[in-house]
Amino acid sequence: MTTSNDAVAVLGVQAPPATRGAPRWRLALPVGLLAVPMLAFLTYFFFYPALGLLLSSIQTQDSRGIIGRPFTLAHYARLINVELYARVLWTTLRISIITSVLATVLAYPVALVMVKSRPMVTRIITLIVIAPLIVSVVVRGYGWQLVLQNGPKGMLNWILMTLHIVDAPISVLYTEAAVVIGSLHVFFPMMVLPLASALGKIDPNLEDAARMLGAPWWKVFLRVTLPLSMPGFVAGFTLVFSLTAGSFVIPAILGGASAVMLGNLIEQQIFVVYDWPFGAAIAVVLVGLVLAVNGVSMWLLEGRRLRRPE
Amino acid sequence: MDERFSGFGAFILYTITAGMMLFILAPLLLVMAVSVSDSYFVTFPPQGFTLKWYAKVLQDRDFLEAMRLSILLALGTTAGSLLFGVPAAFALVRGRFFGLAAIKGFLLSPLIFPALVTGLALLQVLTKLGSQDARLNLLIGHVVVTSPYVIRTVVTSLQLVDENLEDAARTLGANRLTTFWRVTLPQIASGVAAGGLFAFMVSFDNYPVTMWLANSEYSPVPLVLMRQLVNVFDPSVPAMSTIIILMAMVGVLLLEKLVGLRRALAA
Repeated sequence: MTTSNDAVAVLGVQAPPATRGAPRWRLALPVGLLAVPMLAFLTYFFFYPALGLLLSSIQTQDSRGIIGRPFTLAHYARLINVELYARVLWTTLRISIITSVLATVLAYPVALVMVKSRPMVTRIITLIVIAPLIVSVVVRGYGWQLVLQNGPKGMLNWILMTLHIVDAPISVLYTEAAVVIGSLHVFFPMMVLPLASALGKIDPNLEDAARMLGAPWWKVFLRVTLPLSMPGFVAGFTLVFSLTAGSFVIPAILGGASAVMLGNLIEQQIFVVYDWPFGAAIAVVLVGLVLAVNGVSMWLLEGRRLRRPE
Repeated sequence: MDERFSGFGAFILYTITAGMMLFILAPLLLVMAVSVSDSYFVTFPPQGFTLKWYAKVLQDRDFLEAMRLSILLALGTTAGSLLFGVPAAFALVRGRFFGLAAIKGFLLSPLIFPALVTGLALLQVLTKLGSQDARLNLLIGHVVVTSPYVIRTVVTSLQLVDENLEDAARTLGANRLTTFWRVTLPQIASGVAAGGLFAFMVSFDNYPVTMWLANSEYSPVPLVLMRQLVNVFDPSVPAMSTIIILMAMVGVLLLEKLVGLRRALAA
């Protein structure tokens, strides 16, 4: 804008009316206001409801189902002290951690191949990794139900028995292992994509230099590739952990009664027991867990501990 | 394959990668295979070939109703999240005001919040308000969870816009609206399209918000499918699932055509 105005001044002609009255500061005001509808919408339908839920979790529900005073922390105490509920909390933590660790270990090779192969291979792998992301979680859970089906009619058991690896069908469905497998399938792309993006930013010369100086492949990976890909790893781990911890569909379809997670417990408290304050307290614990992991991850990413490779 | 990988390391890498590709595809392919199985129960290996389960699904009133609802809901959600999200993205990229970073964080926060809790909290407020219409409630809930996707993709593409072009248009006498339509919008079109497509797909597949806000009269596809899983054991469930898988594939191809998958998701 300044340059054009200078030109106008030099040529000694009147600037066109549209530009004359519109210096930067007048533009700045309305542009900021464009966020107001979205802000208002989210404040009313997201922020305010979340606070409402937080409030319900420390209130009491009377026999008519009305929630109000007195304030209490009893619902939180109940979640921790009643063994049945505490077990759900631990199951959720265990499944989320195991899924995130497995996803990391398995995503590194896939992301490496994805980033460093010929364009055709990269394209195919990207498509296979991403495509299921858009398929409904219910469908994917159902797919695993068919694969893991207990009894000789399940695909896994059929294969294992046909190859004579086992003599009798094994039972995987309705265990924690089934939930981990299903969660890994659903959230694997969330680990591969940030990792691939971080790996893609690493200067290949660094790895070449290490190799030329005589480092074997595993040492190049451990000393150069791995440290430089940390931002991708942290971002991916956080995503997989948060999403697994908050899942409902996969444990409902694959876990049955033996792998109930926090999400399933909330649903049960609200829809079956109608205990809103307790359901709200479990929800707050779930949110706290997810926010804590995200906070640590943000601290790691923005602090000096991990520098993003530019 | 590539000079960078050689020897034992390469062998491990390619074996794990191939294994994971199989792991990703196996359950989806199995669902598709079973959907044409000519047997009254879902079994492995699938037997024969028939399309009768598709015929059954396409005559199933519940499924068709749910499909109609889900598509309309996803269209409404797309429109809603674009309407709120695109201007917000403009404010975030072009605005210079106090607390910009905090507001950006707030607008994107539904992304890290467990969607299950978002839905539950919304149900509580909507119940208090006495909002009975499940369709309206679902629309509100879906816009909450999809608008951050729109904001993210549009912000990314706006940051790449050359502002000199806009200045040039304004200098040449175009007003702000014309400048937006003729200069800015064409430059961010792929970001807006990707955001809209994301919103559509996230809404269409959403379960954790939908489960709280739907009722017996208005149940979108994921809820109906979940109900069928528990009650129906013939291959009409895999047939329904296959239809959903195929619709998703169309979505992926569209996204790839419009923006390129990696770029769309890295945003």
